[in-house]
Amino acid sequence: MNILLEGKRVTKNFGGLNALRDVNFEIRRGEIFGLIGPNGSGKTTLLNIINGIFPLTGGEIYFEGKRLNDLKPYQITHLGIGRAFQIVRVFEGMTVKENALVGSLFGVKERKSISQAIKEVEEILDFVGLGPKMNYQISEITIADRKRLELARALAMHPKLLLLDEVMAGLNPKEIEGLMEIILTVNKKGVTILIIEHVMKAVMGISHRIMVLHQGKKIAIGSPKEIAEDEEVIKSYLGERFAQRKIQKEEWNN
Amino acid sequence: MGNWRKRKNYLFVGIFLLFLFVPLFLRGYWIRLLTNMFMFAVLAESVNIIAGYCGYLALGNMFFFGLGAYTVAVLMTKFSFPFYCSLLIAGFGASFFAMVVGLPILRLKGQYFLMATVGLLELLREITTNLSLTGGGQGITLPIFPGGASAANYFFYYYMFFLMILSILCTFYISKSHFGFAFRAIKFDEDAASVIGINPTPYKTLAWSISAFFTALTGGGYAYWMTYIDPGEVYQIMPSVKMYLMMVLGGAGTVLGPIAGAFFIELISELVWGKFLELHLLILGLVLVLVVIFTPKGFIDLIHKGLSPSKLLLGIKANKV
Repeated sequence: MNILLEGKRVTKNFGGLNALRDVNFEIRRGEIFGLIGPNGSGKTTLLNIINGIFPLTGGEIYFEGKRLNDLKPYQITHLGIGRAFQIVRVFEGMTVKENALVGSLFGVKERKSISQAIKEVEEILDFVGLGPKMNYQISEITIADRKRLELARALAMHPKLLLLDEVMAGLNPKEIEGLMEIILTVNKKGVTILIIEHVMKAVMGISHRIMVLHQGKKIAIGSPKEIAEDEEVIKSYLGERFAQRKIQKEEWNN
Repeated sequence: MGNWRKRKNYLFVGIFLLFLFVPLFLRGYWIRLLTNMFMFAVLAESVNIIAGYCGYLALGNMFFFGLGAYTVAVLMTKFSFPFYCSLLIAGFGASFFAMVVGLPILRLKGQYFLMATVGLLELLREITTNLSLTGGGQGITLPIFPGGASAANYFFYYYMFFLMILSILCTFYISKSHFGFAFRAIKFDEDAASVIGINPTPYKTLAWSISAFFTALTGGGYAYWMTYIDPGEVYQIMPSVKMYLMMVLGGAGTVLGPIAGAFFIELISELVWGKFLELHLLILGLVLVLVVIFTPKGFIDLIHKGLSPSKLLLGIKANKV
């Protein structure tokens, strides 16, 4: 099996708080890897560690066999890791197009001309559905569009691995469906995706494998079906209601 | 609207030609007034590169002015270097200095960086005051410009004018290039910029060295123009504040905003100064408040949005381009 990203005993402490404890995982090339867990379970922390925003307290991370521990965020990005933030961090004061342009110009190590980057970016913005709003200021577009822009900016970086942090939070069902389709299309083009999501329907629907974190520890990893049936996951994350529905279902079946 | 855009270019060419030939018709006082105006325009434009584009509020940026002024003064008097030669050394020296001190202090953010630059300003003034090479607190007298007062007026007029044009062209290039995008990304969110693949350190340092280069060239020209400088005069915090005022008023992070702001403030304070003395600060303050309320991005923003002067007068709101 071809492994793209590998975490070995990944540990992160903030003072006395264990944000992540001995988390082992591997992401295979070409898959959509879901990351779920309650608030504060360390999901975003894990992404920040992969990105190099936080230094590790312990453990190691490898991307295509290269150790990421001591690299700076921009160096890690240039290896081929793109990121869409949870709290939207598009650049206010730039237009939609300029935002995506920054990703296209600096996301890859090779220098390219601005006109070439503009051409690329226009295609990507059309793809995520922002084509007509290209010249809008950030203050003029909705939250849903900003999330799309986050995705477009990350795509403009031509990543091998795309980190998506709750890109669907706050969107309505129709918008979620549209975004799921976009993510699946991106994946089909060969981009490996690590997605954090609270919208269960979405993450269960598109992920090939899912890892569950709880209080900084990995409590389960497996296919969506295995995760949905895992006792500990139900207890700590999916919750009683979900469990009861499951029990009801089983009773029905019996 | 497109028509206005085309006309805007004619307007710029017109203003350029006007300033190019206007000294032929003006005398001493007015030429010196315009020279002073151009000087502040360069200063505002250079602070615009580091603060307006990159978001690093270098309030103490005037120390490059002092550094440039003293480099030219010392080289010309103590080592008998020619003016242009000392000027080049001053410009590149200040750039180099910005790189050296920038590496540690550009790691600071927001008000901490601002205070560090003010600290550097104070430090350099104290050093200059206590060094015998720089004439200490008594200052330095430079050689007088050969050819008399009138020739000097013309020379420094065109010196500051072309320096301003150069700084505008340089900022224009930055705004259209990779650098402009990197600078602005750093300004809006440095951490996000770094995740997007921008290594902030070289860009920040470069922005500050360019800013230092122009500021030092202005200082060097100023020293030769005034023929006398002392530490208390060239290492002042007040002109820095004025530079910021001009930048914000005209439009921070735009090519022509700081220039327009500088023209506006210099003319206003010069015209109002004679008549109202103490009151002129009040009027300046009032203008600033009005600009911040009605066009927070500076008044150049109105033109960028394609608002022609006639529409402006009719009070039509800026529409989307």
